[in-house]
Amino acid sequence: MPDLKIQRKPLDLRPDLTMWKIEGPLDAESIGYIHREFDSVLESKQNFLVAEMSGVTQVSSAAIGQLMGCRQLLVERGGDLVITGVSLDIKSKLSAMGATKIFKFYNELRTAVNAYHWEVERKSEMVWMSFPPELQFVPPVRQMVSRIARQKGYTNRDSFRIETIVDEVCNNAVEHGSERLKKNIDLNIKIDREKIELEVINASDPDKIDALRALSTSMPKTPDAKLGQKRGRGLALIKMLSNKLDINFSGDGTSVHVTKLREE
Amino acid sequence: MESQIELEYEDIKGHADTKMVRFVGDLDATNVETVLEKICNLFNDGFINIIADFKKLRYVNSTGLGILLHFSKSAKEKNGSFKIANVNENVYEIIEIIGATTLLEIYDEVDEAIAALK
Repeated sequence: MPDLKIQRKPLDLRPDLTMWKIEGPLDAESIGYIHREFDSVLESKQNFLVAEMSGVTQVSSAAIGQLMGCRQLLVERGGDLVITGVSLDIKSKLSAMGATKIFKFYNELRTAVNAYHWEVERKSEMVWMSFPPELQFVPPVRQMVSRIARQKGYTNRDSFRIETIVDEVCNNAVEHGSERLKKNIDLNIKIDREKIELEVINASDPDKIDALRALSTSMPKTPDAKLGQKRGRGLALIKMLSNKLDINFSGDGTSVHVTKLREE
Repeated sequence: MESQIELEYEDIKGHADTKMVRFVGDLDATNVETVLEKICNLFNDGFINIIADFKKLRYVNSTGLGILLHFSKSAKEKNGSFKIANVNENVYEIIEIIGATTLLEIYDEVDEAIAALK
């Protein structure tokens, strides 16, 4: 059986990041080799390592334990060791060893690099949407934002709250804003590990601006639960679910900016 | 196009004036009018007690909650009741934030709601 081979090289997508191309058996005999190669990674001050394992033919718990130790050191330095390209057979063996609970696995190098942007550089991601001012477009929009939040690691509860916030803000934009004017509603989303920021911009009827301004300033701190009242709780609900809510009125439009911190 | 919501109806043995309604899907601004009409039709047909099973109700927003409060008020005006059971925790949180937990009759299980019928 050929020996393990670790080839260290910069990532094409981000040359400042390091990739290990690992081929052959990751067995107990490879521990010393992994250790030496990892020392050279540390010496070069790299704290994010992508292990490309499509060529790995065998895994042992001793070698995986060694990789876990390497990862722990990188995590302590604010980085990570992530795995890409692993075959289904090897992944099921890693799963049996509990490694899938420790390492992050990515199908492609590109997604591993995106993870670096997100996890290590703490960069935010932006999504822009524009949709016609009709209620029927709001459910798919709110559900998509909720899915984005879930996919980014926000809890189900947080994602549900975000879905509710998007729903309420967009419904208000349709109801109080653009329906008559037939101008699209813009939704800008900025999401990072700590928070999601939503901005909803809609055209408003100039005749309604003063009434809307008065409505927003008289907004109750908590929603009104009176039995007979069917509407009028949306803004107060947004306020309760979010951490910051700003409403700005200009001559021809309204913009609502909501910040929701991520719960751990 | 409305959000998906289905209402499934079931009679309650021994309670001729009661209907159980299973809410399946999302209750939001796109479908409140439809739901309002269907539940009001039940009231008009003499079903003064409604037991709403929310086991499969995934989502409700402030507009949806508004009509639930309206149903509760309408039922009380007819000397009946609008009882809710099997509320998921996300929906319950919205009801709680609105401050409606004391205004709506909420039960853990449908059986408990049935047992509470007058």
